[in-house]
Amino acid sequence: MTDDSQKTTHFGNQTIPEDEKAGRVHGVFTSVASRYDVMNDVMSVGIHRLWKDAMMDWLAPRSGQRLLDVAGGTGDIAFRFLTRAPGASAVVCDMTESMLVSGRKRAEAESMADRLDWVVGDAMALPFEAASFDVYTISFGIRNVTRPQEALNEAFRVLKPGGRLMVLEFSQLPVPAMQWAYDRYSYNVIPRMGQAFAGDRDSYQYLVESIRQFPDQDTFAGMVREAGFEQVKYRNLSMGIAALHSGWKI
Amino acid sequence: MTGDAPREQTYDRRMLEALVCPQTQAPLSFDAERLELVSKAAHLAYPIRNGIPVMLIDEARQLD
Repeated sequence: MTDDSQKTTHFGNQTIPEDEKAGRVHGVFTSVASRYDVMNDVMSVGIHRLWKDAMMDWLAPRSGQRLLDVAGGTGDIAFRFLTRAPGASAVVCDMTESMLVSGRKRAEAESMADRLDWVVGDAMALPFEAASFDVYTISFGIRNVTRPQEALNEAFRVLKPGGRLMVLEFSQLPVPAMQWAYDRYSYNVIPRMGQAFAGDRDSYQYLVESIRQFPDQDTFAGMVREAGFEQVKYRNLSMGIAALHSGWKI
Repeated sequence: MTGDAPREQTYDRRMLEALVCPQTQAPLSFDAERLELVSKAAHLAYPIRNGIPVMLIDEARQLD
């Protein structure tokens, strides 16, 4: 047995004990839940909508597929998936109850209610049987998981053979000068915008720092392979501000 | 709001059957009175709040 008390993880730029991360991330998302869509707009200058569409283009949802959207918060990805594949069904799973409650209130949730389920759950210990989904998505969620590798392992477990993983996450710009400029924007502008639009500077500060701490594209692709996925590929979005990672359970 | 209740009930039911215990991955039994999903193997009861099952080990009630 290892001594858990000595294990640490990142919480933005701070190093904190592993067992504190979930609670602190939970605090961030509970505080932003009702304004989460505003937050995504602030973080990406509205471009997250295009990235999510790019995710759907690559996924190509099909009728009959069952989607598990983890860290699905307010249902954004599930709604897109079900709109593109009217015969598909989806489960939205998130650690933060208040995110799911606000998602279920959205108009899309009403019209898709018979194809949509909402479950509070932990990406590292999913409450689903092995081989029960065709598609697993996690969008701007995996960097908030205490041990991302465990979330990927769980994704592999719950997917059926032939199932597909797709991860959308903020990433690193391959050109150092651009990364420098983006860092200036992130650290100086986003927390202030968070204060201005959502009255919550600290949560946005965490989000900016957590983005910078997240592994780069190739490192993350290695983690996806480590979980057992094959044909692992990624695509940069907006020059690498975000990236889509795809893998198949063969 | 009360008009929504019957539809939510039927659709909850199907979802509940698909869930397993996040700790043991064993099937769960539904306690309709307490609105809990019970994992006998893990001695845990997961609450259902606002029609949403809360499948977190930390939020579960410990059973004797």
